[in-house]
Amino acid sequence: MTVVPLAPVRRWISRTQSAHRERGATLGSLYVGVLTIAIIGGMFHRQVGEIFWPPTPDASALAAASLVAVIYGLLYLALRRFGPLALSRPAASWLLPAPVSRRRLLLPSLRITAIVATVIGAVAALAIAGHAAPRSEAGDEVALLVTGGALIGLALLLIATAAQAGGRWGLVLDRVVGVVFAAGLAGLVVSTTLDEPASVDRWPTVAVLGPAVGVAAVVVLAVLALVIRSLAATPSDRILDASRTAGTLFDTAFGIEPSFLTDMIERRYWARRRLRSTRLFPRLPVLVAQDVLLTLRRRSRLLWLLLGASLPVLLGSAPGWVLGAAVLVGLLIAGMTATGNVKTDAGNPVLLRLLGLSSRQAVLQRLWVPGVLASLWAAFALTLLDVVGDLSAGPWWALGLVLGPVGAAAAVHRARVGFVRNELLPLDTPMGTLSTGPLVNAVMGPDMLLLGIPAWIAIAQGHLDWSTVLIQAVIGGAGARFYLSGTTGDDRTELSH
Amino acid sequence: MVDHPAVEVDGLHVGYGSTPVLVGVSLTVPRGQGVCVVGENGIGKSTLLRCVSGLQQPDEGTIHVFGGDPGATPEFWRAVVTTVEPPTWYPGLTAREHAELVCRAHGQDPDQAGVDEALERFGLANHADAIPPSLSSGQKQRLVLAIALLRPSSLLILDEPEQRLDREGRADVAGLLADYVEGGGSLLMASHDDSFAQASGAAITTMESLSAVTP
Repeated sequence: MTVVPLAPVRRWISRTQSAHRERGATLGSLYVGVLTIAIIGGMFHRQVGEIFWPPTPDASALAAASLVAVIYGLLYLALRRFGPLALSRPAASWLLPAPVSRRRLLLPSLRITAIVATVIGAVAALAIAGHAAPRSEAGDEVALLVTGGALIGLALLLIATAAQAGGRWGLVLDRVVGVVFAAGLAGLVVSTTLDEPASVDRWPTVAVLGPAVGVAAVVVLAVLALVIRSLAATPSDRILDASRTAGTLFDTAFGIEPSFLTDMIERRYWARRRLRSTRLFPRLPVLVAQDVLLTLRRRSRLLWLLLGASLPVLLGSAPGWVLGAAVLVGLLIAGMTATGNVKTDAGNPVLLRLLGLSSRQAVLQRLWVPGVLASLWAAFALTLLDVVGDLSAGPWWALGLVLGPVGAAAAVHRARVGFVRNELLPLDTPMGTLSTGPLVNAVMGPDMLLLGIPAWIAIAQGHLDWSTVLIQAVIGGAGARFYLSGTTGDDRTELSH
Repeated sequence: MVDHPAVEVDGLHVGYGSTPVLVGVSLTVPRGQGVCVVGENGIGKSTLLRCVSGLQQPDEGTIHVFGGDPGATPEFWRAVVTTVEPPTWYPGLTAREHAELVCRAHGQDPDQAGVDEALERFGLANHADAIPPSLSSGQKQRLVLAIALLRPSSLLILDEPEQRLDREGRADVAGLLADYVEGGGSLLMASHDDSFAQASGAAITTMESLSAVTP
C-alpha cells in the first residue's frame, strides 16, 4: 500500500484552518494565556512558594513516601484514563483511516504528553523534596532529584503508552497502581495521626544520586526509542476511545458542563462490565432495591468511600471550620455515589413515565440509599477524628448518623440539577465578566449542606453534646422533608426543578 | 359513569414556526379498539401522537384521553404507554432487570407477569443479561415493546412499532397488539406498513382524512 506523506497533509490542514481564523487569533490566545498565568503567578507567588518549598521541612519520611505514591500514582491513572495517546476528533475521523504513517500521526500526541508528564514529574519531585528534605546547601542534589522526578513522569507515560497498545496486563497494572495510590493515601493519614517530626535529616549524596539518575535516564531514553518504534502498533480502537475522551474533555471545558465527562466515564464503565441479571430485592421499595443493586455492583466505589472517610484526618491541624466544611463536603460526595439513577431520571423522564411513579414517590425512594451511605460515611469519619484526638470526647458517631438526611438531600438535589444554564445573564465585576450559569449550577447541591450548620459549628468548636445531636437530627430530617414536599409533587412525574 | 372514548382529538392545530403541520385534525379512538394512522414522512403522524401523549402542546384544539386532559400526572402514565420518545436506560441495569423494575413498579410479580416469557417471545432471551445500550437498534425496539406490553395499561400509543423489526418480528408484534386490543386495551399507532396495521387489528386511517385542510 502506498503511504502518503503526512507532513504536507498536516500543513494543508493547518493552512486551510488558519485561513478561516481571524488574523493573529492564535497569537492573541497565546498572549492572553501567558498574561493570565503571569497575573495569577504574580498574585499568588508567595502561596505557590509555600506549597512547593515551605520555609522549614514539615513532612516525615512516611509522608514523603506516601506523597510519592499518591502523586505519581495519580499521574499514571490520569494518563491511562485519557489515553495517553489521542488525536483530535477530526484527525481521528479523517487521518486515522487514511494511508498515512501511523507513527508520524501519533508522534505529536506523544510529544505533548511527554512534556506534560515530565513537567508534572519534575514539579512533584521539587514539592516532595521541599516538604521532606533538610534545608542545607544542596543545589546539585535538588537538581538531580528534580531530574529523577521528571524521568519518573516520562517512564510512567511510556508504561501507560505500552499499556494502551497492550493486552489485559494494562488493566491489571491499573488495579495495582490504584492500590499503590490508596496505600499512599492511607500512609498520609497514618503519618498525620503519628504526628512525627520531619525525619529525613540528610540529602542523598551526589555520588549516589548522580549515577542512579544517569542510569535511569539511559534506560528511559532507550525505552522511549522502543516505544516510538512500535507506535504504529497502537490499535485504532484505543486511539479512537482516547480521541473521544479528549473531545469530551474539550466539550466539558468549553461548555463548562462536567456532566459530559462523567456521563462518558459512566457509559464506558458499564459497557466494559459483564453483568448477570439478578432479582431486585423484593422486600424493598422498587427504586430503593434498584439503588441498592447498583451500589453493590460498584463495590470498589464503596471501598474508596471507606478510605475517603479517613481523609478528614489530614486536616486535623487546619482551622476547625475547614475540618467541618470538609466533613460536610465528604457527606455530599458519599451520597452522590448512589444518585446515578436520579441523574438519569432528571435528564429524561421517559423511564419514570413507564414506571408510572410520581416525582414525590420517586425522590422519596431515591433518598434512602444516599442517606444510608452519607450517614455511615459521616459516622465513620467523625469517629476516626474523635479517636485520633482531633475532636474532644462526645457522641460524634451519633452526629454522623443523623447527618444522613442532609447528605441524601444534598446529593439528590445535586443529581437533579441538569445541564448548566449558559443563557443566564453574566455579571460584570471589577475582575471581568462572570458567567452565572456555571456558578448557579455549582452551588446547587452544596447549598443543601447548610442544613448541617449545627454539625459544622460543633466540629469547628471541637465540642459536642447530645442536645446538638438532637438539634442536628431535627434540622436534617425536617430539611429533607421540606425539600421533598417543596420540590416534588404527587401530580407530576418530572424530577427536574 | 360516562364511557369516554380512549382518545378524542378535535380541531388540532400544530405548526413549527410558520410551517403548519397539523391543521384542524380530528380523531377518535373508541375504547377497546385500535386506530393506525398512515401517511408519508413529515405529514405529522409523530406530532399527533406526541400531542395525544401530552408531550407537546398544540397551538389550538382539544385533546381528551379517557375523558381527561393528557398530561404529566402519574395517573395518566399508569394508564398510557407511549413509545413516541427515544428510550433512555438506567446505567448498570440489564435488559431483564429493566423489565422486572417496570413490573414491580406496577405492583406485578415479575414471574407471574411473564418477564422471561416476554423476553423469549421478543427474541431477547439470549440478551437478558446485556445492558440495553449494548443492544442493536432492533433489539432495543423489541425490548421497549416487550416492556410496554408487559406492564398493565389501557392505551398504547406507538410510533411505527414495526420499524427495525424483521419480517418474523413484525408478525409476532402485530399478533401481540391484536391480543392487546382483544383483551380490552386501546391502541393508537402510526405506521408505514398497512399489512402490519391490519394484522394488529387496528382500523387504518390516513392523516389526510383526519385533517380539515390538507397542509
